[in-house]
Amino acid sequence: MEEYPEELRTPPVSLVALFGYSELQASITKHLHSQQPPINALAFPDLSHISLLLAHDDQISQASSFRDPLSVSDSSPPVPSRCGGILKRDWLLKHRTKVPALVAAFFPSHHIFGDPNQWLQVCSDLDSLKSVIRPKNIKLVVVVVQSSPHEELSEDRLVALRKRAELDSKYVLFFNSSIDSELSVSLSRIASAFAELALAYYKEEGRRIKSRVERRSSNSPDLNVRYCFKVAVYAEFRRDWGEALKFYEDAYHSLHEMIGASTRLPAIQRLVEIKTIAEQLHFKISTLLLHGGKLIEAVTWFHQHKASYEKVVGSTEFIFLHWDWMSRQFLVFAELLETSSATVQSFSSLNQETADISLTEFEFYPAYYFQLACHYLKDKKCALELLLSTSETAQEIDSCSESITPSLYVGQFAQLCETREEKGESLTLHSITDEEYTRFTISEAKRFQDSFEIIAWLKRSYESFTNLKSRRMAALCAFEVAREYFDLADPNNAKFFFNIAASLYRQEGWVTLLWEVLGYLRECSRNLGALKDFVELSLEMVTLPVTSYDDSGNSRNKNYGPGGPATFSRRESIHREIFTLVCREAELLSSTGGSGFKLATDSPLHLEIDLVSPLRPVLLASVAFHEQIIKPHAMCSITISLLSHLPIPVEIDHLEVQFNQSTCNFVIRNSQRPLWASSSNTVESGSQVENEPSLVLVPNNWLRLTYAINSEQSGKLECLSVLAKLGPLFTISSRAESPAAMEDLSLWKHENRVESLPTKDPVLAVFGQKATQVDEPEPQVDVSLGASGPALVGEDFTMPIVVTSKGHAVYNGELKINLVDVGGGGLFSPRETEPFSLESHHVEICGIDGAEGNDESESETGNIKKIQQSFGLVSVPDLKEGESWTCKLEIKWHRPKPVMLFVSLGYLPHGSEANTQKVHIHKSLQIEGKMPLLISNRFMLPYRRDHLLLNRIKPAPDSEDMSSLPLNEKSVLVVSAKNCSEIALKLVSMSIKFDDEQGETSCLIQQGGDSPSSANLAPGEEFKKVFTVIPTTRTSKLGLGSVHLKWRRQGGNITEACVSTKHKLPEVNVEASPLVMSLNCPPYAILGEPFTCAVRICNQTQLLQEAKFAMADAQSFVLSGSHSNTVSVLPKSEHVLSYKLVPLTCGEQQLPKITLTSVRYSAEFQPSAVASSVFVFPSAPHAEKANSAAK
Amino acid sequence: MIVCVAVVGHQNNPLYIQSFTDADDALKLHHIVHCSLDVIEERVNNPKKSGTTLNEAFLGLLYPTVNYKVYGYLTNTKVKFILVTTDLDVRDTDVRSFFRKFHAAYVDAVSNPFHVPGKKITSRTFAQTVSNIVGSYGLN
Repeated sequence: MEEYPEELRTPPVSLVALFGYSELQASITKHLHSQQPPINALAFPDLSHISLLLAHDDQISQASSFRDPLSVSDSSPPVPSRCGGILKRDWLLKHRTKVPALVAAFFPSHHIFGDPNQWLQVCSDLDSLKSVIRPKNIKLVVVVVQSSPHEELSEDRLVALRKRAELDSKYVLFFNSSIDSELSVSLSRIASAFAELALAYYKEEGRRIKSRVERRSSNSPDLNVRYCFKVAVYAEFRRDWGEALKFYEDAYHSLHEMIGASTRLPAIQRLVEIKTIAEQLHFKISTLLLHGGKLIEAVTWFHQHKASYEKVVGSTEFIFLHWDWMSRQFLVFAELLETSSATVQSFSSLNQETADISLTEFEFYPAYYFQLACHYLKDKKCALELLLSTSETAQEIDSCSESITPSLYVGQFAQLCETREEKGESLTLHSITDEEYTRFTISEAKRFQDSFEIIAWLKRSYESFTNLKSRRMAALCAFEVAREYFDLADPNNAKFFFNIAASLYRQEGWVTLLWEVLGYLRECSRNLGALKDFVELSLEMVTLPVTSYDDSGNSRNKNYGPGGPATFSRRESIHREIFTLVCREAELLSSTGGSGFKLATDSPLHLEIDLVSPLRPVLLASVAFHEQIIKPHAMCSITISLLSHLPIPVEIDHLEVQFNQSTCNFVIRNSQRPLWASSSNTVESGSQVENEPSLVLVPNNWLRLTYAINSEQSGKLECLSVLAKLGPLFTISSRAESPAAMEDLSLWKHENRVESLPTKDPVLAVFGQKATQVDEPEPQVDVSLGASGPALVGEDFTMPIVVTSKGHAVYNGELKINLVDVGGGGLFSPRETEPFSLESHHVEICGIDGAEGNDESESETGNIKKIQQSFGLVSVPDLKEGESWTCKLEIKWHRPKPVMLFVSLGYLPHGSEANTQKVHIHKSLQIEGKMPLLISNRFMLPYRRDHLLLNRIKPAPDSEDMSSLPLNEKSVLVVSAKNCSEIALKLVSMSIKFDDEQGETSCLIQQGGDSPSSANLAPGEEFKKVFTVIPTTRTSKLGLGSVHLKWRRQGGNITEACVSTKHKLPEVNVEASPLVMSLNCPPYAILGEPFTCAVRICNQTQLLQEAKFAMADAQSFVLSGSHSNTVSVLPKSEHVLSYKLVPLTCGEQQLPKITLTSVRYSAEFQPSAVASSVFVFPSAPHAEKANSAAK
Repeated sequence: MIVCVAVVGHQNNPLYIQSFTDADDALKLHHIVHCSLDVIEERVNNPKKSGTTLNEAFLGLLYPTVNYKVYGYLTNTKVKFILVTTDLDVRDTDVRSFFRKFHAAYVDAVSNPFHVPGKKITSRTFAQTVSNIVGSYGLN
């Protein structure tokens, strides 16, 4: 695009000329520039420069040997020998920079309104100006520059001025620069007048030419094109894009009609001219369309342009001219598309239409056009090369024809000759013949470096396609770039781009394309002298799934790359070439010069093949162990299967199989081959060597080898790689793969071929692994856990651990102890959902005691002892064979809970040798933690004394289960402890202790009776102890302290410390009772004998208490006394209800039931059934008699 | 004139590619077929952008290149058929009917119990059918 002149590339801008007042011109020019649309201005200091205006044009027309048909006269026939052209080269430039649309003459006001002499000068200036501009229809503006706004103006002079200038009053302007506000007004006035007049000028000019176009019949086609072009340019000046487009298209079409019709120039040059103009017109049209946002129209237009000129080849001998032209069309359109904002503007808006017009996605991408431009440029290059190679004359051409230059007309060339005429020396242009022209173009083309252009454009295209995520187009561009570099003998750059293409073709399995690229890459590495790359690329090519036997095509055909045709025979020949190169015998070294490599004797070549390498088909190693777990020192079978896709069978000298345990590495030798002196460095000299009668890799056939190996080391045994040695210096190392996890070869998997399994055993072929597990040696040390029954909560449970050596000595022994909750922490009953985090360890390890006897050795070894709540680590002293060591583990349970104890011992059986491995023994034991004693308590109120405890009647909401005790009354507390374990326990003591001092002051607790403080408790037995409690403070929550129980296992060591268990007593509610009812009754009664029973109602309040009572009859008694009544009990006094009763039946009898109702508290209470019963003897008991008798 | 037809697998690997010109063009046609996969990918990924409805297997003109036009067809199993022609003025119906016949031939070929899905098509019958279809292209 840059090769087009500036005036063609940018939209035209109106031009004006300013005369006089150079000090004002700068600001006016600036203002005009800033207008929308802008106006360019030519500035001349005064009117004496008037002759400069248009002078250039006249000079050219005079100096040129051509006649300008436009400037002189259209009617005069062109001189036949000096034929014209279609467009003049400088016409557009002239109108852009030389010919103004209007002339503005600036006069100071005093020149006009002052001195008559000056006025006359003004008049003559105007006359001369008019004489220059009139013939060209250039507009005139007169600007009167005032020095102050209040200057006096003479109306007469003004009218005279207008008359003299033949101007309308609105084109005689006043300009006042003295005041800023006036200045801006004047400037804008000037600008609008200029714009208006310029528009009028271009419109008139356009109309004038258009009228000539309309007289089409009388015009020659040349002129028609020219007129259309001019009308379009004038329309562009007016920014009338629609008309501009229309006339450019008209010009384009009439131009197209001229092909074959015009006879003006010699044939070749004629076509060149037409094509050059077509190119410019096309450029204008495309630009206008793209700037108008009409992307689809632009693309469609381009296609029409391409289609209509594609076949206009011209002379086939010089077809390179055509290709050059075509290439330029694509390039320019690509650049236009790239720079145009229309492409940025969303492409999606066009979608609906694209379907109709059948444009495809690519046709909107500049990259597509760049790529095609390269294609044509390459055609041009080829055509030129062909021309230069065939025609001798073309070869001789050098820059002899420098005198040929572009002529006055677009697309024409002429010879510049110095001629001497009478006037003096001058340069004249002579038209040239086609032969001269072609000589000129060939010499020009020779100077031109097409390859660099091609590379630059293709790179642009490559980047653009990469950004568009069109990977395949990008790969093609990369391939083309690389090929161009290859032709330029730049193997480094070529390699880079070939690799880009190769990686995509490899990935997608386009074998033919890959073959081609690899052929080039191989050649690049040969040129670079990179032997390893060369071998790798050759091997990759050789193993491509190319199975075509069609060798009919000539391998010399230029359409093939350096790799030759993709056929099986070609694969074979590359194979032979490469194997004679790498597997050469020492004495044959000198004869390998043919391949272009110089090889030193001591330079071994080693290839690594991993899982992603493209060389995998060269040597695929599948390794399977027959066992998943093997015993140490035991033989285990291993199958090594090798597959190769090389086209010709290959014999291997020896194979090395490498494992992660290097002692297991072994060698498989081909017994037909001599033993190479050079031994490998991966396999130790003393290792296993197997011999095979032959090691030949047949294409597409597994070579299966099965051997037995053994490992001494426990742990994982994995086969890492298989190394094949082919010849003295060439090794290939292939990563071992498990048959179970082996992926198909990416390029071969789409081929139709017989597939066989890597191993004969189909199970192994599907599930075989390249790694196996070697077991540890059997431990010969015993660890015993001497547990004795269940553990009890609270005690320090001791667990003796005995380590006994039975054949192995123990070195660096370490004992790991772990406590694990059997339930896994999840087996909590819903009641136990109390905060788990607070007491996260219901069971913990308290300590580990070393064996008593081994104290010294323990201190010597500097025992590690790490104890955490559920984890312990103890080091075991070194033990000789037969020795044993004991330690005691103390575990404490806080909650009844079963736990699992894991003990593992790790030791070295053979001292501190570095390579031996630790042997591990694991033991586990489940231990139940149990509750030893179940403690319960019970409160008892005084016998036959009932207190009205209001809390019982109307319980407070928060004290449901709380027992209530009367204030200052002696209540009885019974504490019982039941042995709920299966072990006999000895209870040492039981006592109640207050938790705080407040309890001691508010309550008095005494041991009741003289029950024994210690007792033996068999499983299930219960021990009870009685306490009396006298609460002395009224409180709703009285803490009674806790029961402290000391116990130990029965029959155990007496010195053993007692275990103390604490049981918290519940809190009680203490309140004063307003009424107390006590029943006074003899301890027993005798049948038929009357006795007295009294019910005392005691009012303990300061208030009068009214009490209702009701006595129910009982069958076994005869009762005297009031049955029911209401009594009033005075404050702090008693009321006694007395009854006489005669028992009628013997035995335990229920007394008549009395019910008391307190009116004030509306509470009813009865004495309990136990308390209101009495035993009736049939007669007076003898015991008493005996007793009295004894007295 | 049809110069090349191709069957491309769903991993964009070539399953069958046959050119019907002189042997020299084969490589160029391979490149053209391979590049056309980019267009198919774009059409499939941006169905809205490309205006064509995806309910249809026929993808239409993929792209014009120097002397060729490339047409595409996508089966339900994501196997692509690609047609390269030198005709400048191509009737849509011709191409559609070609692809329909070609699809039928393909279905016959892969229905062969000895054909392993995903492998290259080496059936001679298929090759014969394809060359018949190519020969009869544009005649009616």
